Amino acid sequence: MRKKPTRKRSDRYRLFRIVILAGLLMTLALIFLVSTLGSQNFGSLHKLVLEAVGPLQKVVTMSGSYVETFKSEYIDILQDSLRLREENKRLIQQLQENENILNKSREAMATNASLRKLLEFKNTLDQQQVMAATIVGKDPSTMFRSVIIDRGSNSNVMKGNPVVNNDGVVGQVFAVTPNYAKVLLAIAPSSAIDVLLQKSRVRGILKGDGTLTYRLEYILKTAEVEEGDHVVTAGYGGIFPTGLQVGVVSKIIKKPRGMFHEIEVTPSVDYQKLENLLILQQPKLAEIKQMEQR
Amino acid sequence: MVVLHFIVVGLLLIILQTTICMRTPVWLLAPDLYYVLVAYLAFRLDLLRSLIILFPLVCVLDVLSGTILGMHALLCFSAYFLLRQFSAKLPVNDIVYQIPLIGLSFLAVSWVVSLFLELLQPGQQVAWSWWRMLVRMVLVAMFSYPLFFLFDLIQKYSRHSFLPWNRLRLRSDNRRRRQA
Repeated sequence: MRKKPTRKRSDRYRLFRIVILAGLLMTLALIFLVSTLGSQNFGSLHKLVLEAVGPLQKVVTMSGSYVETFKSEYIDILQDSLRLREENKRLIQQLQENENILNKSREAMATNASLRKLLEFKNTLDQQQVMAATIVGKDPSTMFRSVIIDRGSNSNVMKGNPVVNNDGVVGQVFAVTPNYAKVLLAIAPSSAIDVLLQKSRVRGILKGDGTLTYRLEYILKTAEVEEGDHVVTAGYGGIFPTGLQVGVVSKIIKKPRGMFHEIEVTPSVDYQKLENLLILQQPKLAEIKQMEQR
Repeated sequence: MVVLHFIVVGLLLIILQTTICMRTPVWLLAPDLYYVLVAYLAFRLDLLRSLIILFPLVCVLDVLSGTILGMHALLCFSAYFLLRQFSAKLPVNDIVYQIPLIGLSFLAVSWVVSLFLELLQPGQQVAWSWWRMLVRMVLVAMFSYPLFFLFDLIQKYSRHSFLPWNRLRLRSDNRRRRQA
């Protein structure tokens, strides 16, 4: 019995709410229409709407820009980095190839310069038969100083032939096979070369001591020697031609005892950079050998 | 095959030493690789095969190095017999203990040979320098371990030779009958 009036009341409230809501909507629609079509002013409703939507727009736009930034900063970078890696690989390979070519051309230029110097030097030797040779091996022993060259008796190389390069005297042929020869370097202790002090024309014997200096022996104390004096081959004995550069006097040790000076000579040849050599073929030496054989 | 293999390896070592290892004619840091082979032969191989290997190698060394023929033969054979004597008396036959011995024997034998040559032909070779030879000794010792390892591998490899020598060996008829 009590439930009936409750239902009726609720139905009445429902109708009332609908009417109120419809009225409110109608009013708002009317206000909107009047304000929009009427004065064409950006009214307070519009402002309200914009104020409400603006932040949302801002958030979405900023998110979009953040996404764009993220994409450009990370994803594009990732793609770029992959592309760059490929390009980097290609460029490194290209660089290596170019460096190889550059090294080869540098080497060719250096060899060319060295051979050009050797050729110029060869042209200065008057009517003397000269044979170019390359060092193929070096003596590993600590007791001796010799090198192996790629010319032998088939190229008319004989034992005793002087060996030079564009800087001066290097040594002498020590042993010969048909295609190779062993050269005793002038810095070897068993080497002895007749030399002259170019300025004073005093004669001495140049010996090696295994290091990168020579010893000049048998120079009398009465002879005038100065540091910086040039030492050249004397040409006695017919093995070395006269006047070939040997070195420069670097130190004179004057001892109270003895007849001779102790003189150190710095070689004109750089033994650290020996590569291409010239073998001087001495006609006199060949004659001497032939006479010996007879 | 062991003999042939070691002759070839020895030749390669000598060629390596006289070309790539020697940057200049006065280069100090060139290791005496052939000496390590001499030591290996003394420690690991029998007398006959060692001598067969050593003869051509010392000949090549004498040709490529020095001005006194026979100097390297004297050096290598002295070192070989000295190290062989030591190896017979050593209680331990491990390379780690043999390395100092190889280095010291190199120094000692080189010094004795240098003295001997100085007596025979005074002033014909570079004066003995302890620090230079100590550097060479250290180099020999440094290269001993890897080269011994390599030589061991070569020896092991040589046992599995290309030619089936065992199969080619002649067997007596009696043996076949006994097997049947």
